[in-house]
Amino acid sequence: MQSPELSQNYFELFGLNLVFEIDPAELHAQQQRLQATYHPDRHVGSSDQDRRLSVQMASWVNQAYETLRDPVKRSRYLLEIHGVSLPDDSATTSDTTFLMEQIELREAVEDCRHGDNGLQRSEAIEARLKQRADELARDFVEHFAAGRFDAAIESSRKMQFVQRIQQQLAEIQFELEDI
Amino acid sequence: MALLQIAEPGESSAPHEHRFAAGIDLGTTNSLVATVRSGEAVCLPDAEGRNLLPSVVCYAADQCQVGYPAWAHQSSDPLNSISSIKRLMGRGLKDVSRLGDVMPYEFVSSQDSPVPRIRTAGGDFSAVEISSEILKVLAQRARDSLKGDLEGVVITVPAYFDDAQRQATRDAARLAGLNLFRLMNEPTAAAVAYGLDQKADGLIAVYDLGGGTFDISILRLNRGVFEVLATGGDSALGGDDMDHALGEWIIEHCGIEKLDAGMSRQILLAARNAKEALTLSEAVEFSVDYKGQSWRTEIDRHQFDDLIRELVKKTLQACRRALHDAGLKAAEIEDVVMVGGSTRVPLVQSMVGKFFERIPMCELDPDQVVALGAAIQADILAGNKPNNDMLLLDVLPLSLGIETMGGLSEKIIDRNSAIPVARAQEFTTFKDGQTAMSIHVVQGERELVSDCRSLARFELRGFPPMVAGAARIRVTYQVDADGLMSVTAQETTSGVTADIVVKPSYGLTDTEIESMLRASMEHAREDIGLRMLKEQQVEARRVIEAVDAALAQDGATLLNETELRQIQTKRKALESAVDTASADELKNLIKAVEDVSETYVARRMNASVKQALAGKKIDEVEV
Repeated sequence: MQSPELSQNYFELFGLNLVFEIDPAELHAQQQRLQATYHPDRHVGSSDQDRRLSVQMASWVNQAYETLRDPVKRSRYLLEIHGVSLPDDSATTSDTTFLMEQIELREAVEDCRHGDNGLQRSEAIEARLKQRADELARDFVEHFAAGRFDAAIESSRKMQFVQRIQQQLAEIQFELEDI
Repeated sequence: MALLQIAEPGESSAPHEHRFAAGIDLGTTNSLVATVRSGEAVCLPDAEGRNLLPSVVCYAADQCQVGYPAWAHQSSDPLNSISSIKRLMGRGLKDVSRLGDVMPYEFVSSQDSPVPRIRTAGGDFSAVEISSEILKVLAQRARDSLKGDLEGVVITVPAYFDDAQRQATRDAARLAGLNLFRLMNEPTAAAVAYGLDQKADGLIAVYDLGGGTFDISILRLNRGVFEVLATGGDSALGGDDMDHALGEWIIEHCGIEKLDAGMSRQILLAARNAKEALTLSEAVEFSVDYKGQSWRTEIDRHQFDDLIRELVKKTLQACRRALHDAGLKAAEIEDVVMVGGSTRVPLVQSMVGKFFERIPMCELDPDQVVALGAAIQADILAGNKPNNDMLLLDVLPLSLGIETMGGLSEKIIDRNSAIPVARAQEFTTFKDGQTAMSIHVVQGERELVSDCRSLARFELRGFPPMVAGAARIRVTYQVDADGLMSVTAQETTSGVTADIVVKPSYGLTDTEIESMLRASMEHAREDIGLRMLKEQQVEARRVIEAVDAALAQDGATLLNETELRQIQTKRKALESAVDTASADELKNLIKAVEDVSETYVARRMNASVKQALAGKKIDEVEV
């Protein structure tokens, strides 16, 4: 098996430009193309060493794919490539206005469990969260392009806040849609 | 030397390009083996033409029967006829006690091993050993049918199987002496069998309700690449539960009070037959007969539907969960593939159809479809279709985590992550001079370790001693394409790789597998000895017959009296020893007959050549 450059970063591995905005369809197509080369099923009859390498390569491709397709992970990874280290992944922010909004959203999400029309209310919150996530992504792109890395880190962390509430909401919607 | 084989032309076997491979569906209730022959996947039947092999193994003191003969013993010898063994693969004693009322066997445990064993008349056996007996029979069926050895096999497992269950399946294959190309998820195999890989793209749900397990898988297809988006299900839910629900109804309805293992078995058989009859009939009348007593009753489909509606609902809940994990709505699914004998139940078909708003696909035999798909994958992995681009990308069915302080599970790899996958974690030491540490790996979604399934304890030893907090121990968890995990560890400042001792929580250790392999090889040696004796006996009889036939034909004309007597003496010696001598002794006696006949054979050959040439001109003879 031809061994690729392990020094490549995920963007290079996937043949993508080093920017936050990527085409999900292109990302997916590249992932399949890479797995078609490296997946262990393509190396069943090869030597032990080749098969071990193939498991490692396929794992690497999967890890890269998971990182790139998730906006929060992708933003953190972009910062890492630019030598900006994020101390840990526990998201904190000192923006009190933002924090107040998060607390309010979280409560609204929890409230969907109770009372009538929970599902409709959850859909309104879903739209609001989507809008918020898009705004934060645009902020990130702007700060990152201008080299304002501290501000970019702040945007990335806020994106993480919003993503967690989105996951919480999806879980509640699942419960509400009970058959 | 070939005695009297004058005219037989030797059959030259041309080297075959095709590599033999088989797909095996190792099911809870039935198992099957299939292969690709002339480009088409087919199930391989036994000598009686039956495709299904009941997954039942019956042990007696001196033998082990598999399939229909074992199945026939279920009522008369329930404690030695082991069925539904798949439910115990990778399972521990606690699980066994939970299944106690379903499984009437006598379980034994030892302190040395966490793996429960079933006590039978033939000895104590683990689920891995019992499953390997089923695999051996299927593999032999394939060898007999293909007239060649198997390059490798693909064995299917429920997508929901955890690491311990997959490992147990892999161990069973190893014990059966098979080269396992790959474990394949049953639903993926079903989608492949339906040739859905021929479609350009699409979203597919595979609803697999077998005898003992339920699986739902959501697949995305894109130019020959099958991607599992999400899987879900229940490893202890299936058609057997319908039989049990109906069985309980029978007990209540008929007022049966005294129950023993044989009686329970009889009721379950009656329940299963009634269930199957209700697939086509609106109502069915049946009876339970046991030890001279007989109970008659009747049930219609409506009543039966009421008994199983909750079971089917439970499967649809799992479908919702899988769709949610995949980020999809039921209506976005384009094809629904039905797998498993229990999908023949009309209520299942109608409720699934309603849920997905699609008519489910059930054209292929739902019992065969998984084996057929596995055969197609085995054929590709054997390298018989170099131009086929089909690729199956799988996900991890259950999250992997490690135990942290306070008995909590910290997720290392989330469920539905694409596999193979690797994650690394860094630890440090908390004591001066610490050279070892222990990692407890669990699988499951719950927060508490006690609610997850324990996979193994890894003991890492041999780090260089350093002051507390100075060591940097990088632990890498690697999950391979079959969903099986391994762990490696390295102290990064010194580069020293740790020695790892794995203590599987439910599985067999490598040492146990090895001793089982050795035991089975000793058995195999006995078997080989027996087979060699049989072969020599057959050969001896063939030689005696050939000598007799030849002597009757031309013994008097070609041999003088002394020569004739010599041959007959050796022939008699062989004949009197044929049933009593060992294989080696027979071999020598056969050789003695052949040696003494050497001149005679030569003369016969000349005579037959002369005869063949008689009356022919020299230029008509081709050399």
